[in-house]
Amino acid sequence: MSYAELHCLSNFSFQRGASSALELFERAKAQGYSALAITDECSLAGIVRAWQAAKAVELPLIIGSEVRLENGPKLVLLVQDLSGYQYLCRLITVARRRAEKGRYRLLQDDFDQPMPGLLALWVAADDDTQASIKWLRETFAERLWLAVHLHCGQDDARHLQQRLNLAASLQIPAVACGDVHMHVRGRRALQDTMTAIRHHVSVAEAGTRLHPNGERHLRSLDALGALYPQALLDESLAIARRCTFDLSQLRYHYPRELVPEGHTAKTWLRAVTEEGMARRWPHGVEAKTSMQIDHELGLISDLGYESYFLTVHDIVRFARSRSILCQGRGSAANSAVCFALGITEIDPSLTNLLFERFLSKERNEPPDIDVDFEHERREEVLQYVFQRYGRHRAALTAVVSTYHAAGAVRDVAKALGLPPDQINALADCCGRWSDDAPPLERLREAGFDPHTPILHRVLTLTQQLIGFPRHLSQHPGGFVISEYPLDTLVPVENAAMAERTIIQWDKDDLDAVGLLKVDILALGMLSAIRRCFDLLRQHRGRNLTLASIPKDDPATYTMISKADTIGVFQIESRAQMAMLPRLRPKVFYDLVIEVAIVRPGPIQGGMVHPYLRRRNHEEPTTYPSPELKTVLQRTLGIPLFQEQVMQIAMVAADYSPGEADQLRRSMAAWKRHGGLEPHRERLRDGMLKNGYTEAFAAQIFEQIKGFGSYGFPESHAASFALLTYASCWLKCHEPAAFACALINSWPMGFYSPDQILQDARRHRLQVRPVDVQASDWDCSLEPIDGAQPAIRMGLRLISGFREEDARRIEAARRQQIFSDIADLDRRAALDSRAQALLADAGALRALAGNRHRARWEVAGVHKQLGLFAGLPSPDEDAVVLPAPTVSEDLHADYATLGTTLGPHPLALLRAELRQRRCRSSRELMAVEHGRNVSVAGLVTGRQRPGTASGVTFVTLEDEFGNLNVVVWRDLAERQRLALVGSRLLKVDGRWEAVGEVRHLIAGRLTDLSALLDGMDVRSRDFR
Amino acid sequence: MRWVCIVFPQLALDGVQRLHPEPDAPLALLAGTPQRRVLQTVNAAARALGLRPGQSLTAAHALVKTFASAEYDPVQIERWQQFLAAWAYRFSSQVSVYYPRALLFEIESSLGLFGPWPLFEARLRKELTELGFRHRIVAAPNPAAARVLANLYDGLAVADDAALQQALAPLPIDRAGLEPQAATALSRMGLRTLAHVQALPRHTLARRFDVGLLQHLDALSGQRPLALDFYQPPDRFDVRIELNFDVHSHQALLFPLRRLTADLSAFLCGRDSGVQRFDLHLEHAQAADSVIKVGLLSAEREPGMLFELARGRLEQVQVSAPVRGLRLLAEDLPVFVPQRQDLFDERPQQTLPWEQLRERLRARLGDDAVQGLRFHADHRPECAWQAAADPRACQGLNKVQRPGWLLPQPSPLAEQGVHILMGPERIESGWWDGADIRRDYYLVQTRTGQRGWAFRNVGQSDGLWLQGWFA
Repeated sequence: MSYAELHCLSNFSFQRGASSALELFERAKAQGYSALAITDECSLAGIVRAWQAAKAVELPLIIGSEVRLENGPKLVLLVQDLSGYQYLCRLITVARRRAEKGRYRLLQDDFDQPMPGLLALWVAADDDTQASIKWLRETFAERLWLAVHLHCGQDDARHLQQRLNLAASLQIPAVACGDVHMHVRGRRALQDTMTAIRHHVSVAEAGTRLHPNGERHLRSLDALGALYPQALLDESLAIARRCTFDLSQLRYHYPRELVPEGHTAKTWLRAVTEEGMARRWPHGVEAKTSMQIDHELGLISDLGYESYFLTVHDIVRFARSRSILCQGRGSAANSAVCFALGITEIDPSLTNLLFERFLSKERNEPPDIDVDFEHERREEVLQYVFQRYGRHRAALTAVVSTYHAAGAVRDVAKALGLPPDQINALADCCGRWSDDAPPLERLREAGFDPHTPILHRVLTLTQQLIGFPRHLSQHPGGFVISEYPLDTLVPVENAAMAERTIIQWDKDDLDAVGLLKVDILALGMLSAIRRCFDLLRQHRGRNLTLASIPKDDPATYTMISKADTIGVFQIESRAQMAMLPRLRPKVFYDLVIEVAIVRPGPIQGGMVHPYLRRRNHEEPTTYPSPELKTVLQRTLGIPLFQEQVMQIAMVAADYSPGEADQLRRSMAAWKRHGGLEPHRERLRDGMLKNGYTEAFAAQIFEQIKGFGSYGFPESHAASFALLTYASCWLKCHEPAAFACALINSWPMGFYSPDQILQDARRHRLQVRPVDVQASDWDCSLEPIDGAQPAIRMGLRLISGFREEDARRIEAARRQQIFSDIADLDRRAALDSRAQALLADAGALRALAGNRHRARWEVAGVHKQLGLFAGLPSPDEDAVVLPAPTVSEDLHADYATLGTTLGPHPLALLRAELRQRRCRSSRELMAVEHGRNVSVAGLVTGRQRPGTASGVTFVTLEDEFGNLNVVVWRDLAERQRLALVGSRLLKVDGRWEAVGEVRHLIAGRLTDLSALLDGMDVRSRDFR
Repeated sequence: MRWVCIVFPQLALDGVQRLHPEPDAPLALLAGTPQRRVLQTVNAAARALGLRPGQSLTAAHALVKTFASAEYDPVQIERWQQFLAAWAYRFSSQVSVYYPRALLFEIESSLGLFGPWPLFEARLRKELTELGFRHRIVAAPNPAAARVLANLYDGLAVADDAALQQALAPLPIDRAGLEPQAATALSRMGLRTLAHVQALPRHTLARRFDVGLLQHLDALSGQRPLALDFYQPPDRFDVRIELNFDVHSHQALLFPLRRLTADLSAFLCGRDSGVQRFDLHLEHAQAADSVIKVGLLSAEREPGMLFELARGRLEQVQVSAPVRGLRLLAEDLPVFVPQRQDLFDERPQQTLPWEQLRERLRARLGDDAVQGLRFHADHRPECAWQAAADPRACQGLNKVQRPGWLLPQPSPLAEQGVHILMGPERIESGWWDGADIRRDYYLVQTRTGQRGWAFRNVGQSDGLWLQGWFA
């Protein structure tokens, strides 16, 4: 006897199915089922995973979906063949697109056309009408069955007889099926919990919304045999035999319209590449480059990826035509072809990246090119793609959001009826992205007793729920584009954002079926660089592009080596700045390394210090073998990039390229799913065989583990480094325009406008205050005598000021500058709020004098509107108002602009601080290594990196600059209050100064915030 | 000096702390959404540990491992203010709760009764301290000034308008009781004290500010009276009848009882409300009152019914000591919703309406003896029924057939001669509260022909258990 389960939900029926597809397939196989259908509710989101599970356990998968028609019956639709699959995708798409995200509306009308290849099991209910029964028989004819569910209900015998009678009277066959929600009965508690979560109630309140028992699992054949007549079980096998469709039958086709009449994709790609070559190398192409391009085109053609490159080229071309700055990166992006096509600016002749590494015949997986666009203008690009290919052919990929520990424990605790404060406390016990139930230690610290029954239940269920899919969200920019309507491949549904549609598959599912994905991402630095180019064109007469920025500029590298990098791309963080003086980059490739080295992967893999020692010739550079020298030479024998790890596996342990790629995937996923252990043995055995030592093999494996999901590929680092270099060059040679552009692109990056402006002033740039007679919305440049123009602060810096008001001021001023407050009021049509903001920010000083005066005047003028509008203002005797003091101005500056051009707050406090024997950051530079000193500064940053065990890095700012303070864990715990609560912090500690690396090791912390009363000094808190 | 203002700077905290066993332990009141709980106020002990209002609960827990917390409840704060108003009502008939977290009252007329102001003030402080409310007290010629001065001073008594002007002048602008917007605007103009503002020509202010600003300035100086609503003590019914002789029997109490219930009914009619419960005090000469509690399921006011009910309860009580007086106290006075009556009432004269029958039963048998029965949505049979006094209708169970009578405890059922009519119906549920069951249920017929509902525990061989009978 055997049986095929035809009605089974996986956990992709969110908050309903309580088992994963793999669990279901393993159980079905073990019970001797002959096939298993996965029929998630109006969704195929989990079907790729089900397909992979089916292949893994070698049990046939039947694809289907459970749907409830609006005002109609509930059905299980099963796919018989390819056409049936396409009908199902279409139906789901129609039903999903009609409803808001996460819901669906399926109508009888949607079945108007005949759908051969799609079978239907009718899940009869008491309220099904005669009309809908008639409709079912007409629509599905011989493809209709009556589903018989027997779940040990009140009177199964009678229920069965009723169903058999019904089937007989309608002359349709009946079939046994299980309405399966979980693979084993043991998931009953989880299934109940999910039901409660779905209904936003506690389990105790869920009542009859819970299933009365745990029968909805994959029951043993014996148990089924005892319940069902043999004929009903046999019918399930007959249906299963009819369903022969397999996902591997899907064929994806690249869009073709990019190829003009008379060309094939191959000839057209060659044509546009050659066109690009002529532009890139106007004076002729070197033979080596030309050969490289031929080679690449050959490889692309062999693999059939021409359309992919043409698609990316088309998108990039559109962005260029709109002056949207963009840059490609990732596997395949750093090829000579991509350079010729303008997708990247990495000149392949300048680097030694190998194209094969990203595109190989053996691996046969789609190439992957991410393109970054200006963050404020990416939407234009997205909408271009939707328009160009149409919504039926282009959609974003989905991201399956899964339960992390905090979310899982939150939902479970809520379902078990715990009060909100305890739910929050439990969630706080989980690491931010942790995928493990909260550790018992943490729970005890937070005052929970993990052994109470309730907490035990919470933890057990949390552990089960972690990793379960929770909902579909949209990928930040991964596009799928197809020649034929997408819903012939996969259902499409609405995203949470209007004007967006997503397919039901996660980005990881695409590879399995060979779908093409183009990543259209957003990058703030590109906005800043484009703005900077615009400013240079307007004010400096310089016409620069990413490609034309002078290369290998020594002044730029000198600046970088001094860690003078506030505001630039990637190497501006504290950790990066600490590394720069040690690494001292001199050529472009040094920047590629710098970008990649200060990451959790290399740090946890213990690769940073060996690399630095070798670079500074403190230890000899050696290689484990001559073969590995070619792999590791450019990083002095230390593997720093993901690609190198793969190559080591290939060279030293005889991995094939495909296997090495498998290793890369395992590296990315081992923390969550494990799966690295097989590689450990494989690597060791392979390396021992090739004559490497056991120690080396172990070391390589540890490095691989350290890389984890943080490993940084060289291909990405190279593209990032290009932007790093560009931004550094701009900061070095056009600091005023660069600072302006950064602030105008804010929020982005690591630093606030205040910090960027302070940095600018330390570099002797003139910064001018906001002034309604001169300021635009954006910060702007004003020519002065000197190498660099002055920066005029923009009205955007006034907190709470609206852009439309600023634009009206700009427009009115273009006619004529304002003669007085009344004139401003009249011509710029500002409301009283906007006027008050201008007055408080000091932007009216040219019209009304100091802030107090301005506020008084503004109030007087504006009240005239309304009843007394147009009447001449009565002559007022001059009123005497106190002028603002220096400290009042300072407070007002911080409150309205977040920065001040007057003295730094610490300059005002300096005398007081000197009495407390605090030195300034400038004085510290002269102090020798190892001395005990005291300093005080505004706390502008507190960071506790996951990689530095328990250390907190505090950044202090005073009137001369920034200072790095290291707080060790035990001090942090003893003086937590001062560490967390201070805005102005005094630190007594030991000064460490080795070469360019300087910091203070804290010994005692004192909170001096009281000295700052009333100042709004913002701090970046723990992140 | 006609007005007193008492400000309660920590009313919310005090309200919680006065009921707290350890008032000096760190305590924070929490507000905010469930996702982001925020500290609303903290007591001194908590402040010393670094807790601050506005901190998120998460941040607070990062600082301090354990501290007591309670909900910041605006309704509760309101209640305490009313409580304090009732307290102050003893001292003045003109008590106002015009300002939140503060009391205003007129004292000119009370000084004769409660002594000169220093004595009076000392008494206020003593009582408030005993009640557990921190306070600041200021007396001034007008209520607005008293309130504003109490922002800064405690114990200040301003005798006349000249002294008032002196006291007000140095007041910082942001503590002067102005609208926040006006206060901000003034301080942004560099005006820091009330004197600065008062020195400006009125018309320049009128041009720049809402009329409220000048009105407030005038109220402070006493040139413009503040329109205050005065506190009214709550409505309640509390009437006693003193008997002229010692009463030992119920019988003799019925007459005064009928009077009282009739008065109550009249009172209820007057204010268009009903009564849901009231207390009957039998006052004894030597002993404490015997209190008889009379409760109703819904608000009523029909005199006959009230009397019948009270009588039913009274007759259950043993009159242990001679009764000297009878007192009826009713505080729960909800709105009365009359029953619709048909023009042609078809009820036979002898039968009681259901409500009256129910009340009579309750009166005779006790409150707990008469219960409603409700369904409760739970698959476990023993949890699917609940006794409840709540008279509202409830949803029925769907479809499944259940016995009309459940045994208090399942009892073993000898299987001999028991005939299974239907089943098994499997019920597995209830893991969340520790009372998980896994049972197969059967409809059985006993030898005597009774239909019962019995189960076997899944996976155990402890036989058949009878849990209920079908009618």
